[in-house]
Amino acid sequence: MYCVYCGVKLQEGAKECPLCHTPVAIAQAPGSEEKTLYSDRLPDKENRHGITLVVWLLTTVIIAVCLGCLIFCLRTRGEAAWSGYVLMSAGLVWMLLLFPLLFRRYRPMIFLPVSFACLAAFLLYICVKNGENWFLPFAFPVTGIACVLTLIGVAIFRYIRQGRLRLLGLYLVLIGASFMLIEFFQHITFGTPMWVWSLYCVCGFGALGLFLFIATLIPPLHAHLRKTFFI
Amino acid sequence: MKKQWYRLDNAALIFPAIIRKNWNNVFRVSATLKEPVDPDVLDRAIEELKPRFPTCFVRLRTGFFWYYLETIAKAPKAQQDYAYPLTHMTRRELKTCCVRFLYYENRIAVEVFHSVTDGTGGLILLQNLTARYLALKYGTQIPAEGNIVDVTEAPKAEETRDCFLSCGAKRAISRAEDTAYRLSGTPETDMFRHIITGILPADKLIEKAHEQGVTVTAYLAAVLAEAVAEKQKAEGRTGRKARPVKITIPVNLRRTFGMKTMRNFTLAVNIGFDPRLGEYTHEEICALMGHLLAAETIPQRMAGRVAKNVDLQNVLLLRLIPLPIKRICMRTVYTLSGENKGCLNISNMGVVTVPEPMAPMVERFEFIIGVQYTYPNNCSVVTYGGKTYISMIRGIRETELERLFFARLVELGIPVEIESN
Repeated sequence: MYCVYCGVKLQEGAKECPLCHTPVAIAQAPGSEEKTLYSDRLPDKENRHGITLVVWLLTTVIIAVCLGCLIFCLRTRGEAAWSGYVLMSAGLVWMLLLFPLLFRRYRPMIFLPVSFACLAAFLLYICVKNGENWFLPFAFPVTGIACVLTLIGVAIFRYIRQGRLRLLGLYLVLIGASFMLIEFFQHITFGTPMWVWSLYCVCGFGALGLFLFIATLIPPLHAHLRKTFFI
Repeated sequence: MKKQWYRLDNAALIFPAIIRKNWNNVFRVSATLKEPVDPDVLDRAIEELKPRFPTCFVRLRTGFFWYYLETIAKAPKAQQDYAYPLTHMTRRELKTCCVRFLYYENRIAVEVFHSVTDGTGGLILLQNLTARYLALKYGTQIPAEGNIVDVTEAPKAEETRDCFLSCGAKRAISRAEDTAYRLSGTPETDMFRHIITGILPADKLIEKAHEQGVTVTAYLAAVLAEAVAEKQKAEGRTGRKARPVKITIPVNLRRTFGMKTMRNFTLAVNIGFDPRLGEYTHEEICALMGHLLAAETIPQRMAGRVAKNVDLQNVLLLRLIPLPIKRICMRTVYTLSGENKGCLNISNMGVVTVPEPMAPMVERFEFIIGVQYTYPNNCSVVTYGGKTYISMIRGIRETELERLFFARLVELGIPVEIESN
């Protein structure tokens, strides 16, 4: 019995060609069934009970420590003074390190924004607790910039296959430019002078980024770099 | 019995470091007998084989600076085969035993984590296991010749040593080369592996290879490269968009350097052509692959390549780096450059022979290598009893590459019989 399309000989009883999926047109002789080459045993599903158990054990320890701190603080100070920081820090650590372990796959595009949101909430708490007002004009935009840059970096290294070096060059330029923005927010919030430190970062990152970008446009230089820095 | 431990050989160092949650480097060798396998007798055969092959009955352990292998106290039991070959070997399994013994109907299979040994080592283990099984089951007297050893003997020192350390040249050869075209497709769910085995008459294949003046490995690599190039063209990657088509061929260094070891002793070479330079005929591709393979596998070049790998392993500063940091570095290097120099592997085990009393009881041998982390197809070849078994494994749904390859062989005048899971 042969496949009319590929010309290969098929197994006795085959219903279609495994290569091109062309159905077998010839009527099968009664009792001639396709031979099974493997058993029907499937591998056991990955056991995640161990990881989940460790996460919940650590969570219990964290909750116990936080509650202990809160009770001690309330009894000695009459209010949640320093224990508030402990509670918020513990919450942040839990969200950053333990929360992703509860899921089968680490999806950076979901977990990273959640982590940055938690960080922003933590900073907001510190700001409000101390009666200051640097969160909205400084901490919030800077956290946002850091989040966007991290996501772009992840996208370049994880999801993009072609033209990575060129994108990396542009990414470095973007990082350099973002330092200017950070210094601007620092200037309007704290009244520090402009262009003190960000220009160095802009020059450094910008030069490296532009060099990489230009290198991708000049094939001999690109080839030379690949040869020289081959790992 | 006192536990022994072994350093990982030079080729094995990378494999534990690059294990992923759903992937690691495992291969499989299997023998199909004429009668159904008795699992109890197989268990006894495995137990009897254990003292003779100490480097195979090991588990993976973690040291402060390196991973190492430690012998296990009890031989593993044979288990029923799975629904598909090379199911994922988890970290927990590797910490128990790095080798898996399977049976299904008439077939005995051995799946081996690559840090333990290479395909040749795996085949020697399987042949000895089959011989021991047949001796226990049917009382057949099988002489210790070829790959079959006397299981009552103690293991030889040369079998357990890392041969890479003694065959490196004084000067290393650079590993820099072009990035190859990457095969891709729709990943299969639950890590299912499809396997399509093409059965070819060995004499016809040899005749066709000799017509082109090349070896069977070079001939099959040439046909496979043609199929890959065709697939690339079908995807619209022509002209400047095209990437070099390269096939990775593991070379058995035991023959090159005349050594016998049960550890890893192979080195891969990438050979192929660049479609950007123009069109190639079948004859030109065959000639090119034949010449390139011959040039790359001369002992001097192989020794130079080995030296490059060994030099890196011997750098004191690198050796002093704790394993967790070393692991991150090795993973990064592997991710960036480990798999992008070839499109897929074609690993040819060559002609398998067994002692005369064993031959009527063994129907066929098979050899399957797992897919790589980033490239979804791989190909392995073994010849036994006048038939060549070409196993093409894939972790994707599309069968385009297999269709192009086997249909091309048919077009070239070699009859192909197809089996799949």
